[in-house]
Amino acid sequence: MMFRRQLRHESVKLFARKRTYIGFGAFVGLQVLILALLQLPRARAAFDKLLTTNGYLPEDYYAGLTLAMLIIEFSIFLMGALYLALVGGDVVAKEIEDGTMRMVLSRPVSRLRLLAIKWIACAGYTGVLMLFLGITSLIAGVIYRGRLGQLFVFVPPENLFAVFPTADGLCRYGMAIVLLALVMQIITTLAFMFSCFKMKPAAATILTLTVMFTDFVLRNVPFFQSFKHYFITHHTASWVRVYHDIIPWWTIGESLVYLTALGATFWIVGAMAFCLRDFKS
Amino acid sequence: MISIRGVSKRFGTRLAVEDLTLTVPRGVIFGLLGHNGAGKSTTIGMLLAQVMPDAGELEINGCDVFADRARALARVGAIFETPAFYDYLSGWRNLRIFCEYTAPASEERMRDVVHLVGLDARIHDRVSAYSHGMRQRLALAQALLPGPELLILDEPSEGLDPEGIHEMRNLILRLNAEWGLTILFSSHLLSEVQQLCSNLAVMREGRLLFAGDWRLINTHRQWLCVRVDRQAEAERALLEAGLVDEVQYDGRARLATGADVPWVAEWLVAQGFRVEAIRPIERTLEDFYLETVHGRDPVSAASRPAAETAATTPNGDAR
Repeated sequence: MMFRRQLRHESVKLFARKRTYIGFGAFVGLQVLILALLQLPRARAAFDKLLTTNGYLPEDYYAGLTLAMLIIEFSIFLMGALYLALVGGDVVAKEIEDGTMRMVLSRPVSRLRLLAIKWIACAGYTGVLMLFLGITSLIAGVIYRGRLGQLFVFVPPENLFAVFPTADGLCRYGMAIVLLALVMQIITTLAFMFSCFKMKPAAATILTLTVMFTDFVLRNVPFFQSFKHYFITHHTASWVRVYHDIIPWWTIGESLVYLTALGATFWIVGAMAFCLRDFKS
Repeated sequence: MISIRGVSKRFGTRLAVEDLTLTVPRGVIFGLLGHNGAGKSTTIGMLLAQVMPDAGELEINGCDVFADRARALARVGAIFETPAFYDYLSGWRNLRIFCEYTAPASEERMRDVVHLVGLDARIHDRVSAYSHGMRQRLALAQALLPGPELLILDEPSEGLDPEGIHEMRNLILRLNAEWGLTILFSSHLLSEVQQLCSNLAVMREGRLLFAGDWRLINTHRQWLCVRVDRQAEAERALLEAGLVDEVQYDGRARLATGADVPWVAEWLVAQGFRVEAIRPIERTLEDFYLETVHGRDPVSAASRPAAETAATTPNGDAR
């Protein structure tokens, strides 16, 4: 009961801040921008050519579902980590910087419990942001084209070229969004860990982005191809694997387990740093 | 109420607190004095289990602050020099958040406390619109919500206007007198400490210089004001005769151990000086503090062991 109340208050604190909504606003802005860019003749021509050369009618696929998938692919690549790192990096470090953490810790609340509440609130935020992205992308696509249409997915790094009828496509899209909400927790948790150390909130955010960017770059270096299973971004990309004809559940499960274990490690390291540190003005 | 034994804390190469032993009796307003960096805030941080000591033990109400933190801090309220709140939320919501981390308070209790600190009219406003004084009162409200027996106030009057300082002082006195709260009060404002505390501890560079009832120490050594016809000559003579051991401006002199005012007066007359005035000067806490931190008063720092002097009740009786 008490835990639920504390979690509610933590969520109120998180969602009452204006900066929490920067991510939501930015994603909406990006959706509009991507849709506008897709209208450019060269972009449209490339899309049409890709489908026609593979024997499909572009008109069947250039609709809500496909556009939503395109928006999400670009949005996550461009801004997903940024906004999750921003909130995750803020959640502990900002409270310490502002001095509210010292006020909270003058109560006999366990530091571990406090961290658990904060992390759950962050995880909730990550889930809500990803669901928001999924739903608004679909709405934007449908509004733009006036229909759901069939789903076309093309992800070269995953060797993925797939088409689905509307109902199946919608189902796969829903599964992908749920998976996305799960795998992106690792970014929030990484930022959360840095946030527990003695550093400014901005430093925690920048460090998280640095780690993710380095991970992404190294993963794409040919030399590291045989080590790709060790890279975070290899596993966070597992959300698109639900678009394979036969869903590789085992591989997806492996990625989820890997990310969960890594997330737990980040959490424990962050918790240790937080529990052992001194809080002083 | 508070027992600190052999506590030390080092931040890197800097020793913040060194072998601190201190006892704060129940029911007193206990002052913690010292310059910036003397170790006051570190001591308070350790009492609240926010700073881990390198050595020593800290107990509140007989419970170890680190081994049994929940029980030790269950009836403790604390406010800090610059109380921080969630500015984008209302004062009421802030109170709810802070109290529900450990001890949820009823609406009625919250209203009572808000009324006590005089924030009724603005409690539902956003904290960002609060003045510094209002934030201090909100901080006091959050400290009082769990029904504390011990209130730890770290520079509570810092940044307040004279009216705010007056209100804060009266509130502290009232909380001590009516609610029976033990109050550990750290401040740079010596006049405030003088009006609130008889028991106090003086720290310098992490070391405890004095602990106990400073007014008792006051009686051992006395300052007096001497006015005679040949002032400079008289002052020199008093020093040479060993009746005073320090002479300051404007005829202020400190009596040597064993000397008293009538004796000095008689001696001056016997030496042929015409005494125009001679009167004892009541020593302020500021005098006492400066003497103690500059090591000029052998009674306070050397003759009386700190731990021994701390073991007194507010009335100065031995515990």
